[in-house]
This record gives sequence, structure tokens and C-alpha cells, in this order.
Amino acid sequence: MSEQVLITLTVNGQERAVAVEPSATLLRVLRDELQLTGTKAGCEAGDCGSCTVIVDGEAVNSCLLLAVEADGAAITTIEGLATGGELHELQKAFVKLGALQCGYCTPGQLMAAKALIDHNPQPSRAEIRQALGGNLCRCGTYPRIIEAIEQRHTFADETLDTKPGPHDERDQKRDHAVVGQSVTRYDGPDKVTGRSLYTADIRLLDMVYGKILGSTVAHGTIKRIDTSAARALPGVLAVITGEDVPDIWYGVSPARYDERILATERVRYVGDEVAAVAAIDEETAEQAVALIEVQYEELPAVFDPESAMAPEAELIHPEDPRFAGNINTRVEWDFGDVEQGFAAADCIREQRFVGNRTYQSPIEPHAAIARWEHHGERLTVWSSSQAPHYKQHMLARVFELPMGNIRMIRPPVGGGFGAKCETTPLELCAVVLARQLGRPVMMKYSRREMVYHFRGRHKQYIDMKIGVKKDGTITAVQSRILLDGGAYTSFGIITVYYAGSMLPTLYKIPNYKYDGYRVYTNLPASGAMRGHGVPQPRWAMESLLDDLAEELGLDPIEIRLRNAMEPNTRTINDLDISSCEFKKTLERARDESGWLEKRGQLPPGKGIGVGCGGFVSGAGYPIYRSDFPHSNALIRVHEDGKAVSLHIATAEIGQGCDTVLPQIAAEELGIPYDWVWLAECDSVLAPTDLGSYASRVTLMGGNAVKMAAAAAKVQILKVAGRQLGCDPHGLTARDGRIFVAEHPELAIGWDEAARLAFSESGPVVGTGCYRPPPGLGGKYKGAAVGTSPAYSFATSVCEVAVDLETGAVKVERFSDFSDAGTVINPVTFHGQVEGGIIMGLGETLLEDTVHDDTGALVNPDLHGYLIPTISDAPEIESHAVESYEPHGPFGAKEIGEGCLPPILGAIANAIYDACGVRVTELPITPEKILRGLATQRQAGSKLSDDRP
Amino acid sequence: MACRNTTYHRPQSIAEACQIAGEYGIRGRFLAGGTELLIDLDSGRDRADQLISLRDVPDLCEIRIEAGELRIGALATLSAIATAPDVVRALPALREAILTMGGQQIRNRATIGGNFCRAVPCADTPPLCIAAGARLEIVGATGARTLPAADFFVGPRQTVLDRSEILTEIRIPVPPAHSGASYQRFSLRHGMAVAVAAVAAVLQLDGDEITSARVVLSAVAPVPLLVGECTDLLVGRKPVPDLFAEAGTIAAAAAQPITDLRGSAEFRRELLAVLTPRALNEAAARAKGEAA
Ligand SMILES: Cc1cc2nc3c(=O)[nH]c(=O)nc-3n(C[C@H](O)[C@H](O)[C@H](O)COP(=O)(O)OP(=O)(O)OC[C@H]3O[C@@H](n4cnc5c(N)ncnc54)[C@H](O)[C@@H]3O)c2cc1C
Ligand code: FES
Ligand code: FES
Repeated sequence: MSEQVLITLTVNGQERAVAVEPSATLLRVLRDELQLTGTKAGCEAGDCGSCTVIVDGEAVNSCLLLAVEADGAAITTIEGLATGGELHELQKAFVKLGALQCGYCTPGQLMAAKALIDHNPQPSRAEIRQALGGNLCRCGTYPRIIEAIEQRHTFADETLDTKPGPHDERDQKRDHAVVGQSVTRYDGPDKVTGRSLYTADIRLLDMVYGKILGSTVAHGTIKRIDTSAARALPGVLAVITGEDVPDIWYGVSPARYDERILATERVRYVGDEVAAVAAIDEETAEQAVALIEVQYEELPAVFDPESAMAPEAELIHPEDPRFAGNINTRVEWDFGDVEQGFAAADCIREQRFVGNRTYQSPIEPHAAIARWEHHGERLTVWSSSQAPHYKQHMLARVFELPMGNIRMIRPPVGGGFGAKCETTPLELCAVVLARQLGRPVMMKYSRREMVYHFRGRHKQYIDMKIGVKKDGTITAVQSRILLDGGAYTSFGIITVYYAGSMLPTLYKIPNYKYDGYRVYTNLPASGAMRGHGVPQPRWAMESLLDDLAEELGLDPIEIRLRNAMEPNTRTINDLDISSCEFKKTLERARDESGWLEKRGQLPPGKGIGVGCGGFVSGAGYPIYRSDFPHSNALIRVHEDGKAVSLHIATAEIGQGCDTVLPQIAAEELGIPYDWVWLAECDSVLAPTDLGSYASRVTLMGGNAVKMAAAAAKVQILKVAGRQLGCDPHGLTARDGRIFVAEHPELAIGWDEAARLAFSESGPVVGTGCYRPPPGLGGKYKGAAVGTSPAYSFATSVCEVAVDLETGAVKVERFSDFSDAGTVINPVTFHGQVEGGIIMGLGETLLEDTVHDDTGALVNPDLHGYLIPTISDAPEIESHAVESYEPHGPFGAKEIGEGCLPPILGAIANAIYDACGVRVTELPITPEKILRGLATQRQAGSKLSDDRP
Repeated sequence: MACRNTTYHRPQSIAEACQIAGEYGIRGRFLAGGTELLIDLDSGRDRADQLISLRDVPDLCEIRIEAGELRIGALATLSAIATAPDVVRALPALREAILTMGGQQIRNRATIGGNFCRAVPCADTPPLCIAAGARLEIVGATGARTLPAADFFVGPRQTVLDRSEILTEIRIPVPPAHSGASYQRFSLRHGMAVAVAAVAAVLQLDGDEITSARVVLSAVAPVPLLVGECTDLLVGRKPVPDLFAEAGTIAAAAAQPITDLRGSAEFRRELLAVLTPRALNEAAARAKGEAA
């Protein structure tokens, strides 16, 4: 260690003298020395902007500035933006306009915006994009950030209270007081001030830091591990290898527990976790893992499913004979009679489509803390998790503890999109190290490590064939899909089923055959990502439908309307569709997006295309067999009746459930939204919920909350009825008042009734739980995947400009029409749609994790793996169509995942419309478009044939 | 981030900086904005344990017009250059080139000297400077020297500088009347993405005749590539699109691109055939006073 240097910083107006290592970045000094954790570390490489602070008036990346270089500087961090307890107008505008979701990028966005307006109070849109181009937001809040900067003055004098008002979702008519309103985002104020403590922001007494060593070879056996040098490094407290952890196989699905906590004999991909250390600080831990020497005997490795399935391929999981041929999961479905279906078709199209290995890329890297309690065999774990319940369950299994002995806390999560569903070696190693040391241990992935850990989108190799009648009616669909599963199962069993089960939910398919193979390869394991398994096959089908429509001379929207799913239908694969306004989404898209005026009328290089999709509103069955209700809630009315607390262990990952669920509670109770407190997501405080995956929380969590609220309300109404001298059944509660429905002037304050209730019989508590209707789905193997109480539907229209000389694509506009049932909160709803479009845009045009021929990743960062920036975001118009789902709370379904699957096809079809090139391999890069244009020129120009 | 056993120096003069650098040889690195260096040290692509900060060395950030030259101190940040009135007036294309680089936070710290000295093949400021005939001022432990910017680059991440030498200033002749410049760059994302290929062009016209022309390619060769054949083709001819297209073909042939994550060699050549005429057309329009 070198000599520390004493520097002085004026931070948020206060002079601070700190002794720092010369190598310490300002970011780490702010977070670790000055405890200003509002400044976030998303990449520590200058690529994401989450670490932005203002230094002497200029926005800079604090991760690329040595603290010593900032000596003497005036620094403003997010903690210094609000003055005297009053939020800055930018902060208020961000909260009010929904310019944040997970909030992890938000401090950086705000500081960049602040520096901009300090220099230029009236920036143009171009100037805003220029100034915030270095601030990535994976949640896709860009359009709202622009709006917030432009309209910030409007909010200068506003408070963040939510005034009761009518339902304000413009496209839906409802008589609700809280549902349907864009109330103040519950987690908004803390996220715009830096107060929200994400897992990596937590500082526990005596806490130490862990780090994991990943394999350097893609496939091999471990010959020897030498940890002596690491152990000898001053500051290192413990080093563990596979021998020091429970000897157990774990994973996601009980049918395929195929992972080791740390590799014992075999490593299966570059990055496979091999050893871990704990040290007094992060830097020492980072140095120590580099000192561990591992000798491997390399085995032949395979990097794509076809080679992995070859007879001569080395087995990746020889320990289990089920995985012969490296096939992890095989699906064979045959509904109806496809042979006959194709025979009846007038027109058949068949094509291979190849997807990409996209990574969720949440801006917050995964983090976990474990602490063993002194009181009994008890363990507390903090984890940036989308599904804390499953982690709790898995930790209990691995460490042979009752689940009740584990306290699972989920701090705010800086984005997940599927990446943070499962138990990782972070939690597992932290628990082992914490036990060895008797101290809390924090473990984090670096940006590079999280990409290596992956669990991103399965790359799918899709052979799809569709037959239609002359009028466009589908007669048969057949698809054979190879999914590149990577080295472990993760959520992959479900992925390979979803890739097949969801196609028949959108269109009526009379004959359908699906052959799915999820195949092991020596790459990072693929898992669940937004729209789980669905976007790539959906893109294939949407592309083929357009091709068929062209061949038959039909309008693309027309062919979709002809086959569109209808309400109260049982699909060919036994899924029960209840509400369904898919046709309405198509018709509104046709009539309101400019489709009729633009389709076929645009100049060369400009195109308009349509894509459709949708998703489940929660899975019909849990990941492991369990009789627990899927969502559970508890509501406690406070003593004075002026507040209630809502206890439910759901996972706010940016999608807005911490706002939507309190809204549902308030609506059902009949109180203002601002009366609701949300208890922390902590297994000691709140009953379990399965988590934020399969787009389940609004419907399932919402139903549990509604039921709990109703149970509490009954008790209050009873007292009110007595006070008013009438039957409680004739009472209505709304906006904090309880009144006789027929005689609204006969009323009592909600709080007064609640106070009386408490005074008489103590706490008023209501509980609720939700489980999907029993017996969902068919009887065939795998019939459970795809079942859901309700399905969403969406049509998206995209407009692009293609540079015919360079192949560059600019997505200019999206008009989206979603059937998500009742909209609970318009701002979070439309924010999800916008975010899904922007993420889908990245998946279609930009993203792919690329590996070299040794299996090492070429772009495990945000420099080579490009996700959309503020300048890539198109103009977006999002609409909710009128729809009501009987199984949903107040008629609601889902929006978070269903908004993504339409996007890939919409963009691909718009590109085809613009230039006649159909790229069948994702991402659709400029280079591939140029190749297509060249091929087209050789074959005689389509543009000159077909276009005026 | 940067390696643990690092010593930090903060010299107060060029002489002192050079002297410290001379003393430590390959163990030392000058630290300017740090936007390259910190990442290189962190990733292990570069190793050094003596950081010699240039932040207190006086006069290295100045931007001014003097003796017919636009003089830019090597420590001037990209933001400072992009907003300097002298730059906006004399060489607006340089501002445009800079605004394609990184994000605002990067531009606020990154220096033009660092961009030159790190010498990555896709660096965005050297091509235009070379095309505009820039000279570089260099001071070392054993003296000072001046050299054409075109001669500065040796290979990827390699320059003619010895360990004790500091790039102090970039001097660009103020473009004469009837001249124009353009920088055309292709990247895979709208912002915050390095160039896949880029072309800088500077033209001077006399009436309807090109009297001087320089085309420099970026990200398609180990170093920024001044294409002499383009100059030969263009000088003495009329500035017409067909001629510029021909220059594009020549540029594409002259390049030595590689295939990497961002694109194939073939794709890069195709881009050059498009970007070169675009750059020449814009430069010509500006020379004629048609565009800002
Ligand atoms: C997210 C991100 C995006 C980027 N985008 C771009 C881009 O689009 N285009 C582009 O060209 N670059 C880009 N860069 C690279 C980088 O920001 C630039 O090259 C920048 O100009 C480097 O300047 P610096 O002052 O930060 O250099 P430093 O990191 O301080 O130094 C770089 C190297 O040059 C040496 N050095 C610096 N100054 C001198 C001097 N005066 N004399 C001698 N040696 C010196 C240093 O010792 C070091 O070896 C990007 C970087 C990041 C992190
Ligand atoms: S953490 Fe600094 S830019 Fe990502
Ligand atoms: S809100 Fe921007 S990354 Fe989540």
C-alpha cells in the first residue's frame, strides 16, 4: 500500500479533509470515506454516467477522476441538490413525470441535468441529448427525463402530496378515486435525493468485503488451487474454494439442480465461480482473488447448440445421464395436425431466424450482504433481488436451515429485467464467509463479473414454418427451436417451454407443432429476461406474417386481424384467455398511428412496420412445488386512523409495484393514497410474495392487497355503521370518508371510525392472499408453462429511417396500443411501455454478448455492449385500450413484460418496408442491412420494381 | 481502480514534470484527464506506478489564435475546445468532431493531448487536425521539438514521444478563405460509441478549382491515415460529386482496416466509400460559403 495523501474537498458546501490512496477514485472516496452513497457505481469505466457529480461546475464521471486530482475542488453530489429540505425543481419534476423507475441511474441523470441547466437554462432537445448522452438508463426513462428538464419550472412550487382526483387514464372510463391516477411514485422522493439505500450502499458495523474468482477456461477440470499468496496478502481474512462450501447441487428448478456454489471438479464456462476471498476492504479483496492460482486441465469446449449436440461433443454435465447429447431440456408438442394444416394452406413460408445473446444490463450490479446473528442459528441476508422468496428458499435448502431462520431483506433494486431472479454465488459465498468470520460480508459483482454471470436472453435458432389460406387465415404453424442454454439450467426449462407455449396465445392457430431443445454450451448460463423466451420466436412469427401478407397482397394489420385471439378462448395448447382486446389494439393502431396514410406511401429509406405481442400476467404455477399462496399481504390500520401500513414482500425493481400496490390498498380501503405506508420488503415484516418475474405483481400482489384491504375495511365499516345507525353493507368508503351510499350526507370520517375501532378492540388488521385459479392448463407434459390467470396483448407501430448507403437505422417513432386491463397508474404504465420499447430497440438493433474462440467475452462491459442512449430513444406515443380483466384487481393485468415482444418484429418489419431487406439474424446491424441491399441489387432492385 | 501501490506526483512546471518522468521511465505516466489512463491501468492494459499529474502545470489549457494559428493547449478539455469561440469561428468541424466523442462527462475531463498521446486508431481529434495541417509542440527532459501531426503516430497506442516528453500544444493553421472542413463519422449507436470508421476532409477552392485537399481516415488503419492519392486526385479539379465519389473509392482502397466487434474490414471499406464523399461535399460547400 502506498502513502495516503491528505486532500480537501468542498462537498455540498462543506469542507472535508480526507486522507486518500492516490489510486482511489472520487467515486469510492465519496461512497466509502464520506458515506455519500447517493452517487452510484454502475460500471466504474466511464460508460454509464451513474457516478456523475458536479466538480467545479462541470459534470464529470467520478469513477474516472482520482480523488487526489479533485483536491481543492467544489463538488456537488445528489445529496446536495435539495436545499433546506426542499427538493430542487428537477427532483420534483423527475418524480412527478415518472422520469425514474429503478432510480439507480437517477442521481447521475439529475446531476448531469443540473450542470446543463446551470450553463444553459433553456436547453433545446438536442442540447439535452448532448448533455445527457453519457447517462444510460436501462429502464428507458429517457423521454420522461427530457420532459422533466423542459417542464421543471412547473413543479418549482409544488409539493409531492397527491391530491385526490378522478381517474386520469385518458383512454379508460372508471369511477375510481385512486386507481387510474398518476399518484406520486412511492419510492420517488428517496430515489431522487440519494436517500434510497441499495444493497451496495448499506454499511454495517464491522462489515468486510468478498470477491469471487472466475474460471479462465471455458471447459476443464480443476487440477490444483493454490491460495497461499492470496492468504498471505495483508488484509485478507478468509479464502474459500469448493471444499469449504456445502457439497450440494443447487439451481432454480428442482428438476435440474446442476450448479455448484464454487466449482469442485469441473468448470463449464469462462467465469464459472471457483474460489472466493473476504478482506478488510474491496480493493484488497480484488487484489487477493488475482493472487489465487488455479491449474486446469482443459477439455474441448462448445459454443453453439448445434456443435454441442454433435455426437463427438464433450459432455458438459457428465454427472447426470439425463443430459446425454448436452440436451438440457427437450420439448415435443404436437397439437392438431400440422401435416393436414399445411396441406390445406394456399401459401407457406419457412425461414430460419437466429436471435442474440442479449444481457439484461441493469445499471445496478448485483450485490448481497450476509450476517449471522448471535441469537441462535439465524441468518440475515440483504440482496438486490427480484425474487427474494426464491433466494430465501434456496438458502434454507443449501444451508439446511428452516426458512424461518433466514431473514431476507430486499433493499431497493436498481433494475433486474430477469437478471436478479435467482440465488447467485454472491449470496452463497457471503453466507459461508460470514459464518467463518463472524462478521457481515458484502459481495458485489463488477460490471464485467455480472455480464459473465449472465443469465441473460437465450439465443434461439428458430426454424419456423407458417401456412395460411388466401385470405390470410392461419392453417398451421410449426417451429423447431434450439436454445443456447450456456453452462447451467437457470430458468431455462421454463424458457424453452415459453418459446413454444406463447405463440398460440396471440393468434388462433388450429394446428401447431413445436420441437424445443435447450442445449448446454460452454458459455455463461442463459436465464430469464423480460418477455421470457418469447421475443425471439415472436419476432420470427411477426416477420413471417408480414412476408405472407406481402405475398398474398394483404395489409399486415389485416392479416393479423384475421387471426387475432378473442376473449374467452381456450387456445390449441389449452391456455385459457379471459379478457382480450387484441383486435382493438390492432384497429386503433391502424386508425390512430398514421398507418393508412403512411404504409406504402413513404419514400425509399423510410418505413413503417407493425409488430404484436403480449405476455402472461403471472405464472399459473410456482418454480418449485409449494402450496403457499403466490402473493400475501397484510394491512394494519394505525391507531389514529390516519394511516395504514401495507406489508407485502414484493420486489420493486423499477416497474412501480411500490406505488401501484399502495394505490390498490387505498382504493379498496377508501382512503387517500398518501395515508399508506409501505413496510420494507423484509421477511420479518411482510409475508412472502413469489417475486417480480413473469409480470405477476400487479395482478397477484394486487389481488392479495385488495383482499387484505377489504378485510380491514369490513372492521372499520362495522364501527361506522354502528355510529351512523345503519347497515354497514350500505356504506361506501372513499377519500377518507365513510358515507351511506344513498345518502352521502350521512357520513363519518374514515379516521374517526378507525380510531374508534382501535380503541374498542385493538389493532385493526386485514390479511389477504392470492393463488391462481386451480387446475390451469392442459394435461400434457409442460402444460403448466404459459398458464396464467390473464394475458396481455399489444400492437406496436414503428417508423424508421434507413440510411441506404451505410445501413444505419434511426427508429423515429413508436405508437403503441396495449391491452393491459385497467391501468392502475398511467405514469408507471406508460413508463413501462416506453422502457420496453427502448429495451426492445436495443435488442433488435444493437445488442449481443460476443465471445471469442476460447469462450471469453469480447464485450463484458457497457463500452462494447451497447444499450440505447437518450439519443437512440424514439418519439413514443403509448395508449392503453379499454379493457377489463375479471381476474385482476380492479380489472388490471400486466404491462412490464408484454410491452417488449412486439418491438423486435415491428422494427424488423419497418426496416423491410424502408429498404426491402429482411435480416433474419439479430441484432439487425447496419452491416447486415448493407449486405442485404447488395444482394438485392444483384437480384434486381426491389425498390425500383415495387416503388414509384 | 488503478493499481494500489501508486505514487502521485503533482509537478508545478513542465520542466519538473519532464524531469520526474525522465527519472521513472516506463514506470511513469502523465495524467491528464485520466479518461483513458485510469481504464487502462484498471484493466491491466497498461501498467505504471508513478502518476505524474499535469493539472497544476501552467499554461497548458490555453486556446487562442496567434500568428495565424489556432493554438490549443494539450491539457484543454474537449468541452473547452468545443465551446471556445476561436474554434467555433476558425474550425467548426473540430467542434463537431468533438461533440461526437463520449458523453458530456467524458468531454468535460478528456483532453485533446490525451486523445493524441493515447493514440488509439479510432481517436477522433487527430484526423481533422492532421487534415488541417497541424503541428505539435513537444517538450522533453532534453529539449523541445515541433513536428507535423501526421508524423506523430507510430502504431496503435504508439507515438514518437519518449517517456519524458510532454505534448504541450497543437497548432493548426487558421484555414484560409474559401476553405472548408468536415468530419464524417460512423458509429453503431447515436452517441457514446467509438467510431467504426471516420473521415476528415479539408479543402481549399479557388473559384471552381480545388487548390488543396487533404483526406485523413480514422479507425481503419493502425494510425490516422493521410491519403496522398486523394490529394493527387482532387487538386486542380472541379469540386463535383462524381469526383468525390472517386475519392471515396480511393480512400476505401487505401485503408488497412481490421475486423472486430464493431464491423468487418469489408464493411469499413464500404463506409469509407460513403463517408469520404460526404466529407468532401460538406467541406466543399463550406469552402463555397454554402453551409455553416
Ligand atoms: C466512455 C468513454 C468514451 C470515449 N469516447 C471516445 C470517443 O468517442 N472518441 C475518442 O477519440 N476517444 C474517446 N474516449 C477516449 C478518451 O476519452 C480520449 O482519448 C481522451 O481525449 C483522452 O484524454 P485524457 O486527458 O483523459 O487522457 P489520459 O487518460 O489522461 O491520458 C491518456 C494517455 O496519454 C498520456 N498523456 C496525456 N496527456 C499527455 C500529454 N500532454 N503529453 C504526453 N502524454 C500525455 C497519458 O500518460 C496516458 O498514457 C472515450 C473514453 C471513455 C471512457
Ligand atoms: S460508474 Fe462511472 S460511468 Fe459508470
Ligand atoms: S431508472 Fe434509469 S436505470 Fe432504472
